[in-house]
Amino acid sequence: MFDARFPPLSGVLFICALLAGCAAPQSRALRSAPPPLPSAAVEMDHSPFFPQEEFQCGPAALATTLNAAGIGAMPEDLARQVFLPARRGSLQVEMLAAARRHDVLAVTLSPRLDALLAEIANGTPVIVLQNLALDWVPMWHYAVVVGYDLGADQIILRSGRTRRQVMAMPTFERTWARSRYWAMVTVPPGTIPATVGESDYVQAAVAFEKVASATAARRVYSAAVGKWPHNQLALLGLGNTAFSLQDWQAAETAFRKLGDVASDPVPALNNLALTLDAQGQLAQALEVARRAVSLGGQFAAQSRNTLATLVEKAGDDDDRNR
Amino acid sequence: MNGFWTRSLAFVLALAVGNVVSFASAHAAPISTAQVAQAVANQDRIALSAVLARPDIQAELVRRGVSVNEANQRVSALTEEEARTLSQQLDSLAAGGVDVLGTILIVFIVLLITDILGFTKVFSFTHPIK
Repeated sequence: MFDARFPPLSGVLFICALLAGCAAPQSRALRSAPPPLPSAAVEMDHSPFFPQEEFQCGPAALATTLNAAGIGAMPEDLARQVFLPARRGSLQVEMLAAARRHDVLAVTLSPRLDALLAEIANGTPVIVLQNLALDWVPMWHYAVVVGYDLGADQIILRSGRTRRQVMAMPTFERTWARSRYWAMVTVPPGTIPATVGESDYVQAAVAFEKVASATAARRVYSAAVGKWPHNQLALLGLGNTAFSLQDWQAAETAFRKLGDVASDPVPALNNLALTLDAQGQLAQALEVARRAVSLGGQFAAQSRNTLATLVEKAGDDDDRNR
Repeated sequence: MNGFWTRSLAFVLALAVGNVVSFASAHAAPISTAQVAQAVANQDRIALSAVLARPDIQAELVRRGVSVNEANQRVSALTEEEARTLSQQLDSLAAGGVDVLGTILIVFIVLLITDILGFTKVFSFTHPIK
């Protein structure tokens, strides 16, 4: 990368520094050893396009991928959710957060060109953050990659006001590398992006659960448990979303499974106790809650609270039966 | 009654002493996925309370031109981690939103050259030399 602390003393030095620092290592590696992609050239012709208003590449890019995921969001609405007027742009974390507000799972990809291409090959358009200029005079820009052509060494984007921008792969890589290869995808709940790993997906799911509907979040966790049956957060999320939808049976199953595999079973036991109580099995609930309290740990306050509530309820029941 | 006060006191103490991130209800409640995720993440570093920082972030967004209502919703959509990132670097993070016309002449010429060399892609009319 070009060193931003190095001022351009002369044109020669400047160009030398550029030449030395502006390599495109991933494109070069790709040319010498092509990745195992199902197709050497892909283009999502039908991928939507929203020409960008002034400074509004974030909302435009987001609208493009959300529409591809089946959500009819418009750039004007998205602008309110991501655009930061004083910065005249949109921040990466807000791009992720805004997608979640539309019940769509947002995940960042690993910073690799082959991962990006694999997502495209799988039919998922990818939002990339590029610095179209240089480190010392940045021009941050969001665009959507919708295709590639390995033979022609090209990337195809929806970018700004250009519906079909064809960029040489090394040029694209240089602009993308300046954002440390930042890329995100937005997928409908239940779809696991081709290149996203267990931990990244589950972290995204937890963030999703915070703002999305319980039904959508449950679908996300369900997909995660389907692929990674022993993931503790995914099992907990599956149980919690079922719990909030009052599907006690499903919640119980998830919490029991989690109790068996969890390194700290207190959350599983605490939530199982509440699930059993919701099903009218107070005696069993008390037993599980006591087990949770006996284990202590960092959720001790909550498990003690659960037990206290259940004990009180049992006392009330006794009073009523007396 | 006495039992109630003892329990309440114990609860308040537990709240004060324990590493409680987002639990504020006095009723029995499921332990949330986010709480456990946060607990896992906190094992590796010092826990900072982003919960406390959220109103600040909201105010900072409003100061940068976002409406109060929208700022509130935007902040609620963030994870703890994201909220922390925003609160620390609101003005230094990259904000995607290019406007090429704002470029001054000298930079324009430099970028024209780098565009032609294929190091940058500022102008739509440039084609990099091979």
